[in-house]
Amino acid sequence: MNDQSSVRLKLNNSELWGGLIGLALGVFVIWSGLKLKLGTINDPGSGYVLFYTGVLMCVFAATIIVAAITEGGPTFGSRWEGARWTKPLLVIGCLTSFAFALDAFGFLLSAIPLMVLLLRVIDPVRWTLAIPVAVLTPLGVWWVLKRVLLIQLPSGIFEIG
Amino acid sequence: MDVLLNVAHGFGVALQPINLLYCFIGVFIGTLVGVLPGIGPISAMSLLLPITLSGTPESGIIMMAGIYYGSMYGGSTTSILVNIPGEAASVVTCIDGHQMAKQGRAGPALGMSALGSFIAGTFSLIALMLIAPSLANVAIAFGPAEYFSLMVLGLVVLTFLTQGSMAKALLMACIGIVLGLIGLDSITAMPRLTFGRLELIDGIGLVPVVMGLFGVAEVLINTEQVIKRDVINAKITQLLPSKADWKASAGPVARGTVLGFFLGILPGGGAVISSFASYALEKRLSKTPERFGKGAIEGVAGPESANNAAAGGAFIPLMTLGIPPNVVMALLLGAFVIHGLQPGPLLITQNPGLFWGIVASMYIGNVMLLVLNLPLIGMWVQLLKLPYNILFPLIILFTIIGVYCSSNNVFDVYVMIAFGVIGYFMRKLGYEPAPLVLAFVLGPMLENNLRKSLILSQGDLFTFVQRPISAACLVLAVVLLIGPLLPSLRRKRELVALDEGA
Repeated sequence: MNDQSSVRLKLNNSELWGGLIGLALGVFVIWSGLKLKLGTINDPGSGYVLFYTGVLMCVFAATIIVAAITEGGPTFGSRWEGARWTKPLLVIGCLTSFAFALDAFGFLLSAIPLMVLLLRVIDPVRWTLAIPVAVLTPLGVWWVLKRVLLIQLPSGIFEIG
Repeated sequence: MDVLLNVAHGFGVALQPINLLYCFIGVFIGTLVGVLPGIGPISAMSLLLPITLSGTPESGIIMMAGIYYGSMYGGSTTSILVNIPGEAASVVTCIDGHQMAKQGRAGPALGMSALGSFIAGTFSLIALMLIAPSLANVAIAFGPAEYFSLMVLGLVVLTFLTQGSMAKALLMACIGIVLGLIGLDSITAMPRLTFGRLELIDGIGLVPVVMGLFGVAEVLINTEQVIKRDVINAKITQLLPSKADWKASAGPVARGTVLGFFLGILPGGGAVISSFASYALEKRLSKTPERFGKGAIEGVAGPESANNAAAGGAFIPLMTLGIPPNVVMALLLGAFVIHGLQPGPLLITQNPGLFWGIVASMYIGNVMLLVLNLPLIGMWVQLLKLPYNILFPLIILFTIIGVYCSSNNVFDVYVMIAFGVIGYFMRKLGYEPAPLVLAFVLGPMLENNLRKSLILSQGDLFTFVQRPISAACLVLAVVLLIGPLLPSLRRKRELVALDEGA
């Protein structure tokens, strides 16, 4: 790794941040374990395993942090070097919008736009193919689930589907 | 004699038309996902887990098992013809398989891969039949301490074999345990980490977690790169290997089969490790190791046999102890649980039809796979030309539907999307999802057995070291944990460490 892609005590050291997130999660798990009561070693309580797992998480996270500080680690930029980072970001955006739309508008009204977006976002498929695939696939799946397998997909406020 | 009667009983179950159909669907889908790079058996099995609900337990589990061993066959096709591994266990097949294809020997490479897989698959089934009932009898004597220590060992072995930093893998395993404990405490019925949400009272489902971490995250990772495929376009002829090919491959197939089977049984082991170990073994034993990497048929025969034998061997700990040795078996455990069945020492005696039916179906499945992978090879080659920009949106749509159908709950779709995003960032930052998923499945069992052991021993921690099996497992786990601190063992680990989850 070159000097620009590997750093030690800098804010863009991705290993350091990974370890810090692990440490924060570990502290939260320890706190949750304590809140749930540890019980005794003869009769462990609901928080017993959580507490000790949290302790282990902190230990492993601390190891990652120490390694990140002493040995350095790749920067965030180098993790995405040469990658088309906007593509996964767009897909995540589409999925998040779909998640919000699913309950409100139902499966069909949210899955068809999702498919259109995905077909045009990843590596654009020509419109004449994207539209039929985006419409027919969710419709076909909806029909099989509803009519053949008797599974009701969300129909949303418009009760379509 | 008993074994023969049981096998006959098993064939009676497996040959029922509905089970034959499910077996065919399983091996067909297995080959399909094996052939298609980017989708592995884990994604396919998690996608189809809800479908197992619609039939009998036998049918569902026969189908799921078929996907697993079917993907081992299919993975080699892509490795040989495109030089992209269809799934992780076929990574090593690319090295010599694609070189053979470039030299115009794609036919013998595909043929030997399928025939070696068939031989190994058949051997592992016979061994499974002979070993599983005896091991189940021994496992009846296992107490909570043994189960706890075995699960700890399984998790440590998996983290040891996972690519990258061991501290990261162990952190992932701990997070998996915590996620597995969400919901009601099985002993006190106290809600844990539910944040007041009713949807979390029963815990997080395995299906959304696995589909998110493996299905959605895989698509997100793949969208980052333009996937280029160098498909061998020449017509594939002469699939049957020549006498010389057989002579060169007989030893690697035999050694790969035995090695793969035993590595498959080990907790945390599996098909991926076996294929790499077999390749290394063959290269070391070869009188002409310089041929490896340049189209040596031994480099295809050994690893392909090993990964299929491992797929059979991995059923032993699940069926006899109820402990899944890897993520794929954890999903199969999920299929058992969906049907209210608990794999373990009593499964063979209480549900002989199920156990022997699954074993017999695997024989039938192996024969089906031979037909699917030899005469129908042209069909799979055509499939390799399917554009990814259409395939990926379809995978996302089917994962959404699969998750929704598994619980009829929109909340699970949210969970899947969240885990998809988490899984993407985890992989980018070098955190492997496999230890998390295995720990997620083992977490509740691990906790239950730990608490039971402590209650039974009145808080005496020595109970874990006074019992020989438990002590042996813990000693091995400790050795593997402190081992990477020694430079020589660290180097060895880096050599065998693999991306289990791919």
